Amino acid sequence: MSSLELTGWRRKSGWWGIRNHVLVLPTNAAADLAAGRIAEGMAGVRAVAHQWEDAGDDRDRERILRTLAGFSSNPNVAVALVLGITQDDREIAERIAATGAAVEFMAMADHRGTNGSVEAGRRVASGLADRAAALEREPMPISDLILGLECGGSDALSGITANPALGIASDRLVELGGTSVLAETSELIGAEHLLAARAVSPEVARRVIEVVHAFELAILELGVDIRGAQPAPGNIEGGLTTIEEKSLGAAKKGGDAPVSGVTDFAIRPATKGLYIMDTPGHDIEQMTGMVAGGCQIAVFTTGRGTPTGCAIAPVIKVATNTAIFNRMRLDLDLNAGAILDGDETLPSMGARIFDEIVRVVNGGLTSSERRGNHEFAISRTSYPVPA
Amino acid sequence: MSIELAGYLRADGRWGARNHILVLPSVVCSGLAAERIAQMTDTIHVVHQHGCGQVGDDVEHTERAFFGMATNPNVGGTVVVSLGCETIQGKRLADRIARHGQRLKFTGIQLSGGTDKAVDAGCEAVAALNVVVEQDTRRPMPPSGLLIGVDCDDEHGVQIAQALASIAESAGAGMVLAAAGDKPTWSSGPLAQAATVAYGDSAPAGRISIVEEAGRGSEQHVALAAAGAQVLIALRGRGRPPVGFAICPVIAAAGDTRTYTALVDDFDVDGSGEPDTVARSVWNRTLEVFGGRETASERRGARDFSLGRLARNM
Repeated sequence: MSSLELTGWRRKSGWWGIRNHVLVLPTNAAADLAAGRIAEGMAGVRAVAHQWEDAGDDRDRERILRTLAGFSSNPNVAVALVLGITQDDREIAERIAATGAAVEFMAMADHRGTNGSVEAGRRVASGLADRAAALEREPMPISDLILGLECGGSDALSGITANPALGIASDRLVELGGTSVLAETSELIGAEHLLAARAVSPEVARRVIEVVHAFELAILELGVDIRGAQPAPGNIEGGLTTIEEKSLGAAKKGGDAPVSGVTDFAIRPATKGLYIMDTPGHDIEQMTGMVAGGCQIAVFTTGRGTPTGCAIAPVIKVATNTAIFNRMRLDLDLNAGAILDGDETLPSMGARIFDEIVRVVNGGLTSSERRGNHEFAISRTSYPVPA
Repeated sequence: MSIELAGYLRADGRWGARNHILVLPSVVCSGLAAERIAQMTDTIHVVHQHGCGQVGDDVEHTERAFFGMATNPNVGGTVVVSLGCETIQGKRLADRIARHGQRLKFTGIQLSGGTDKAVDAGCEAVAALNVVVEQDTRRPMPPSGLLIGVDCDDEHGVQIAQALASIAESAGAGMVLAAAGDKPTWSSGPLAQAATVAYGDSAPAGRISIVEEAGRGSEQHVALAAAGAQVLIALRGRGRPPVGFAICPVIAAAGDTRTYTALVDDFDVDGSGEPDTVARSVWNRTLEVFGGRETASERRGARDFSLGRLARNM
């Protein structure tokens, strides 16, 4: 077992970052290209792209603003550079500033459009990167770590190897005073009673049942068959038969810890311990929501093999079986298939995942960081958007 | 009025204004692989956040949009890049595109054994397609081969669209419209007689039509390109900034001079003038752009892709 000494950057918000990025955030899809070009090839500077164009009557507007502002105020971001279209687009920057996080704003309309904004933006970003680089890591309390728990491309082994091993690592973090976030509400359908029974209070138990049932209701209201989305074609090929079976395996990522609370999409847990965040099962929307809700790091288990990551947070990917680990070695980080091979036990694999979390918190890179994965997706609840 | 145009004749009889190879991820998870392939081969790609966790009619709606991008006449060949476990199965999508007669290659991350191998396979696929695609040359085409795609969202934009429809009609060209504006304004003029086109279906050649469920804002670009438009005309009202598109050149017209001036490098024309005058200048520009003149969106390399959806992700 490695030492438990963690280091990070303490931000003005009071939160601790384990990375020290400059994030360029477009407020509008029309600024995506410029934001990407500002960050291109500049060490320590990242950008994300999205397809949102702000229209006043959008029922998801608050959810989207919360996601964009939350993501940008994640403590892994030393400073965010918000790129708007005009000076009137400061709303997200103001929300970021309100958390205490550092933020700069510029408008494309002050630079005649994309080319001028890229030129000016690169000067600004370069200065911000220099400022960020001058900040140093300090010893960080583990109780300030928020770990995101994710599974994607699950197979029949997810609930047997990688997920329960991750649950052991999550329990350890919670015992040490930290926070873990279990999400993917659609993948908790059928497991909600088990989670509710572990709730710290009747109110939390009620909320667990409530969010899962609200999700089921949304599906019923659409009058659709969830199969195809849950389980997805690859899950079925991987041996999963029903959403309930998938859920019982997915919930194991949360270990046996008491459920401290339930939080909405992209909202930071109010206290410590194991939390449930209400997100879709869509891997990238979930990741975006967890990071917007304060997770500095995530562990992502996969049976079919998935390459994705996050622009500002390290993602440790754990294979459920040795075959996929060997086949997609450069996209993955750890192999929980070793449990089936007899080379690890569940407790030893749990310890291995925990050790990897410590290594990565302290600056060790993950496969998705080495590759530069920057997938990003905003989760909407209302479609179609009114015209 | 006669127009002389030259384009790339496709297997389905439609004409392209560009001869792109498109690298299309079937799911957000293969987006980075697609981006790397496009960067290494100097081809176009789209970045999107869709393809998994989708349910109901929304699955087919999205698949039709992807199919429409891959078979747009500006595309001479398509490489579909799949993850493997996604809802919109990349292989199924690829087979559908190939059945249409499009030149098609398929690669998958799980199939290849990782991102790097899929990127290698994708680059080889582009090289193989390119051998054929680079043989395509522009040929003289009839005016009915031109299909302009117009999106508008306010009254001024609708008036310009009406004038454009008149010009297109008299030239024997086709126009497909996506509009978030008020339908009553279409009760007269050429748009009142327009045919309707289902999302993802080809718009009729040489006619005026309106695409259904086109979405809003730049989501309409996808709907118009899926209908087969080769050149898009974005009438950006209400101070909206210009948004580009990978597959079609976008002629971005500002609805007011202030917005035009502030973002002059990204707009093509100031569309704030009298509707007939604006329509005439946009039409003339369209003919030049069809023949190869770059739009502001092409110069800056915009590849924006906003997809209208019917249901939330699960």
